[in-house]
Amino acid sequence: MTTLTKAPAARLARTTTATPPVTRGVRTFLYVIVLLAIAAIFITPYLFSVMAAFKPLSEIQADRAWDLPSHPTFDNFVTIFTQYKFGTFLLNTAGVTIIITIGQVVFSLLGAYAFARIQFPGREAIFWGYLSMLMVPNVVTMIPLYVMMSKVGLTDTYWALFLPYVFGTPYTIFLMRQYIQSIPSEVIEAARLDGCSELGVLRRVVVPMSRPIIMTATIIAVIFSWNNFLWPLISTSSNDLQVLSVGVANFNSNFTSQWNLVLAGSLVALIPMVILFVLFQKHIVNSVNLSGANR
Amino acid sequence: MTQIAAGRPAIQPAAEEPRSTHSSVRRRSLTAYGLLAPSLFGVIVFLGIPVILVVVFSFLKWNLLTAPTFVGLTNYLDVFQHEGAGHALLVTFYYFLLNIPVQTALALGMALLMNRRGRFTALIRVLCVLPYLATPVAMGVVWQWIFAPQTGVVNTLLHFVGVSGPDWLNSPGWSMPVVAFANIWQFVGYNMLFFLAGLQAIPPMLYEASAIDGASTVQRFFRVTLPLLRPTMLFVLVTGAIGSFQVFDSVYVMTNGGPGTSTTVMNMLIYQNGFIGFRIGAASALSVILFAVILVVTLIQFRYFNRRTVYELV
Repeated sequence: MTTLTKAPAARLARTTTATPPVTRGVRTFLYVIVLLAIAAIFITPYLFSVMAAFKPLSEIQADRAWDLPSHPTFDNFVTIFTQYKFGTFLLNTAGVTIIITIGQVVFSLLGAYAFARIQFPGREAIFWGYLSMLMVPNVVTMIPLYVMMSKVGLTDTYWALFLPYVFGTPYTIFLMRQYIQSIPSEVIEAARLDGCSELGVLRRVVVPMSRPIIMTATIIAVIFSWNNFLWPLISTSSNDLQVLSVGVANFNSNFTSQWNLVLAGSLVALIPMVILFVLFQKHIVNSVNLSGANR
Repeated sequence: MTQIAAGRPAIQPAAEEPRSTHSSVRRRSLTAYGLLAPSLFGVIVFLGIPVILVVVFSFLKWNLLTAPTFVGLTNYLDVFQHEGAGHALLVTFYYFLLNIPVQTALALGMALLMNRRGRFTALIRVLCVLPYLATPVAMGVVWQWIFAPQTGVVNTLLHFVGVSGPDWLNSPGWSMPVVAFANIWQFVGYNMLFFLAGLQAIPPMLYEASAIDGASTVQRFFRVTLPLLRPTMLFVLVTGAIGSFQVFDSVYVMTNGGPGTSTTVMNMLIYQNGFIGFRIGAASALSVILFAVILVVTLIQFRYFNRRTVYELV
């Protein structure tokens, strides 16, 4: 702890030379306590659920949530993966997330490049059409999408889960267009002069120079499709097609108060996102800045 | 695709584009439309057409099994008279009011607190963003357990200080605040990041100048920080409001609209009408109403925040 608190302490020392050292120390101490308390609020729900997921039901009911599991057990996970289809749910979610993410990033990039760097008739009109679709909340299209899907017989198929989202979203296209426009036109013209085709320019110049926004789009797509709930809930009904969010919700309503199983199930949905966060936290924070600054 | 892409003439400076030959313009357009095709298809089929259809459906009486009949504006009257649309709108506004002011104020407060260098502060900042990624459904389950009547963490803690806590999610008074709390917990750190970015964009010289003029810390906050954060504030409020009016996942898991209809938000009512009652017309009418409400609230926020002068800084 001491090493960690040095930095703010040093800063305070510089800015508040007039205050006596004791006051400064107290202030730094309070600052650290407040920050730790804030961090605790955001982490403890995760910690509690992790600990509970490794306890048998009897222990969850008898113990307090902050007691460490006295006999840590994997039984809950074994149960939900063998007797219930959490393995299938996990695979479905991972598959849908991968398909949607690749589709959204690739197709959005293609569209964004056309909008940003190619002159063609109808460009402004189509772009405004896309922008107007930014205003449409997801829930508004839900009923017609369901009707359309059921009319072509795609409800309760794997297709239904990703088809509406795989072709790129106006929002991602807008973010990418803004970014690609900031690439100096000399670079792109030079590549064209060197005989690069448009796809060549895209692959050799735009993609390498747009890494941050591609990362942002990837993160947005992964979080969206992993957590997506309402559409998978209504568009699929068979057990084999459920994604984790739907699986957890159904499991929760069918096994009320079997907290050991329910919490283990929700943990299966939560943990991959925590891992993603630990691996990419810098990019995630940056992506927030990129997506906010561009709107 | 390769054929289209390969045929582009090598020399094509942007300034001379109007003078370029017919065939090169055509080829360029073909390339552009080729690149746009997938997203154009997606936007038209999965956004544009549904937006038109939802309005058309709202004039129909239809259960998807029998043939639809045109009923004019009946659905719009029906949802208010028989389906409790008015109540659901109030509940949705209540959720919005519980959620957004607190969330925005906390996010701003946390940003002010954590707007300094140092590895410790940076670490805490990052930890605050972690819930942003949490699957709302899965987290809803965890909150349900934490707020459980007997064994829940909250009531165990309250028991320690001699208070017997309520059955939070089964009490009409508490269920909505708990759902709002879950949402604030999830998104406050995410919104803090926008405020941090906004704070870092404020030139330090403004603070120095106001300090020389004798402004107190409080004055500096209200005269410098807050006015300059106006664009950030608008962004956070607008996106937060749009999200709040569409809340569904956490409500579905934590309360399923209950107890009674105390947490039946608009999106819940749309779900119940459309996918439990299969009243496609009523559900579509509710969707159109919700769309209109979201548009109006967004416009009000834009007007309010653009009304007063925003300081232009280069």
